[in-house]
Amino acid sequence: MASHRGLYPGYDVLAHKHEWDANTRQIVEKRLGPFSYKLLSSWEQSMLKAVAGHLTYEDRPEVLAWVAAHFDQELGKAIGESQRQPEVPPQKELVVAGLKALEEWAKLQYQKGFLKLGVQDQFQILRDLQLGQLPMVGKWNETLQRALFKKLVSLAVEAYYSHPWVWSEIGYGGPAYPRGYVRIELGLADPWEAQRGGSSIDAEL
Amino acid sequence: MTRSCDHYGNQRFTHLRQRKYAGQEVDAVVVGLGAAGGLILRDLAKAGLDVVGIEAGPFWDPASDFASDELHARTLNWQDTRLSTGQNPLRFGHNNSGRGVGGGTVHFTGVFYRFHASDFRTRTLDGVGEDWPITYADLEPYYAKLEEEIKVSGPREFPWGEFNGPYPYPVREPISGNAQVFRRGCEALGIRSAVAPLAILSAPYDGRPPCINRGFCNQGCLPNAKFSTLIQHIPQALADGAEVPSDCMVTRILVGKDGRVSGVEFVHDGRTYKQEAKLVVVSAFVVETPRLLLNSACKQFPDGLANSSGLVGKYIMPHSGHDVFAKFDEEIRLYKGTPVMAVSQDFYETDPSRGFARGYTLNAHGSRPVELAGSLAVNAGMWGKELNDTMREWNYYARITMVGEVLPSLSNYVTLSDEKDEYGMPRALVHFSYGDNDNRLIAHGVETCYQILEAAGGKRAFVIPDTAHLHGGCRMGTDPRRSVVNQYCQSHDIPNLFVCDASVFVTSGGCNPTETVMAIAARTADYITSQKYKGKLQPAALTV
Ligand SMILES: Cc1cc2nc3c(=O)[nH]c(=O)nc-3n(C[C@H](O)[C@H](O)[C@H](O)COP(=O)(O)OP(=O)(O)OC[C@H]3O[C@@H](n4cnc5c(N)ncnc54)[C@H](O)[C@@H]3O)c2cc1C
Ligand code: SF4
Repeated sequence: MASHRGLYPGYDVLAHKHEWDANTRQIVEKRLGPFSYKLLSSWEQSMLKAVAGHLTYEDRPEVLAWVAAHFDQELGKAIGESQRQPEVPPQKELVVAGLKALEEWAKLQYQKGFLKLGVQDQFQILRDLQLGQLPMVGKWNETLQRALFKKLVSLAVEAYYSHPWVWSEIGYGGPAYPRGYVRIELGLADPWEAQRGGSSIDAEL
Repeated sequence: MTRSCDHYGNQRFTHLRQRKYAGQEVDAVVVGLGAAGGLILRDLAKAGLDVVGIEAGPFWDPASDFASDELHARTLNWQDTRLSTGQNPLRFGHNNSGRGVGGGTVHFTGVFYRFHASDFRTRTLDGVGEDWPITYADLEPYYAKLEEEIKVSGPREFPWGEFNGPYPYPVREPISGNAQVFRRGCEALGIRSAVAPLAILSAPYDGRPPCINRGFCNQGCLPNAKFSTLIQHIPQALADGAEVPSDCMVTRILVGKDGRVSGVEFVHDGRTYKQEAKLVVVSAFVVETPRLLLNSACKQFPDGLANSSGLVGKYIMPHSGHDVFAKFDEEIRLYKGTPVMAVSQDFYETDPSRGFARGYTLNAHGSRPVELAGSLAVNAGMWGKELNDTMREWNYYARITMVGEVLPSLSNYVTLSDEKDEYGMPRALVHFSYGDNDNRLIAHGVETCYQILEAAGGKRAFVIPDTAHLHGGCRMGTDPRRSVVNQYCQSHDIPNLFVCDASVFVTSGGCNPTETVMAIAARTADYITSQKYKGKLQPAALTV
């Protein structure tokens, strides 16, 4: 794993993957790449990586590549998106058109494409988008701006917190079958769980 | 001995060419095999009826279809798009709707409560909502039977409501860190708490092991420790001869010239099939049940089936399900153990001094990263560095989730939109806004949660607004002008059409609803197989 940024240095859930059921292991390992994209153009992928980087506060390309791949998979699914406001278009249309709109907003306000902007300016556009406060370009009123932000943040965050590197950093035990947990009470942890400061019970035993 | 959970090998539905009842009129067809439908199917099959249970989603095999992963578990949810509007638009999918054999029970948390007697009489007692046409006493025998057959684990003494324990299976021990913190806070404030009654095994039963505390109940239980309709009632129904076509979406209920229903139409792999039946039970849950009834409009019933009152789709209610978090100096580790292991119903009944009617349950509730970060982002608007920092320390947060009663209102409804889905059926349009009483109840609940967490040593952190569960849309009642079905879930308008699932709820109650959904379903099945039901159905099995 690349640099570890959490409270649990040295903890790596993937070191325990041989303990997981095969189905789960396969699902999780796919998040490490390589990725193939069916739907998104390379510009759309770059835009999503930049946007997702802000939304999740992350800059490691490996992790952001998975996040963009997750967008690609989800937006390509026919199954549906559980719910949507009647005035908001289906998620694929919303996101694809939304990325173009972000580019327009960037040009309108800063005379540069979104990807050419500095981090602060990109951040500011997303902040305004969340509040629905960007100028109305095309049909992008407050409702659509907010809906776009929610869709972007929801897909980005669910992918991000499904990445095993992130699990390691936040000290999440990850998949737990067939092993389960034995020590679930306050102050107790199973020997294979993340330990604060990197010391593990394993080491103490 | 064959065990209920061993059915997958040969009984799993494979192909429509191998159908048992193709081209035949069966005694009953059940639409939707969730908590209610699966139970009715089982009970009708056991009584000797020829029954078919048609399910829109897949016939899951836990061993190969479930995984210890939040994203993957999306496949268990009803993901078809619903249009959602109102001041507090509902979120569906994972939040409340299952899809596949077992319905919502496949990914439910397993908290298993009876309603209180007061829940059935809120109009009389509190002047709000509506009285049910049944009382607690009507459901009591069914509650008891269900707890026994499911081997509900729970405390020896449960301090609230009419049933005070003991439960059939031993109480869960140990409890999770989050549950301990909850009980510590309650104790400091003089609030009573208990270990949760759970439809989760605390000891082996029927070839199934006890819970191993992996905490993935909402992703489907891999070891089969948690009850679900999929692993208990459906195998029993199959053993008694029921047929279970899965991946079959019912798109229309058919009506004969005599004005009775004659069967259903369903779509599998793009082709439409028909199943004729003497009786139809619709158990498709709070959004799909009204949608199907409305979409089945025909010459005799231009406003949809069972809808002479105009109330099909009306009075839907979620529970307010706000999540309250506090930060502690010690690690809580929300991901470990069965998600809900400690509860309190000290705030369940109306207390006039609080300034609102009815009440709520508090569940100490675990969490996982996708769920927590996702709801922080989407429902609480937190992202970027703030979200990242919070999640990095997420092991230090404890959570309490409230299950708050939401009063019925005519302006909260499901109807058909102008947009069509892949089957050519109009998408559901769902409208929901909280009322004043609901908002006052939520404010009180949130404050109580914070006080408990503070008393346990935590610091107030954040509240994530949320809802859980759904009820109503086809409420039961005695007056055909003011309700859709009678006390046995039989439609007032069409005697051989039954609607039986969470949609028949008159009020939401203030606790997790599934034991009540199932108790009502068992009572309905009893009625259908009894001599009392004098509809068209006269199965030989009942007359010999
Ligand atoms: C995350 C989560 C946690 C929960 N936790 C708890 C808990 O701890 N305790 C509790 O008491 N309750 C809990 N619940 C609620 C519980 O799942 C529901 O109350 C219960 O499943 C409702 O039962 P039902 O029979 O009304 O509907 P469901 O169980 O939803 O079943 C409906 C079925 O109908 C099928 N269907 C729909 N339309 C059609 C159609 N047109 N044709 C064919 N089939 C169709 C669906 O696919 C589904 O399988 C939880 C729910 C969720 C989502
Ligand atoms: S916590 Fe227990 S009941 Fe829940 S999924 Fe895990 S083993 Fe099953």
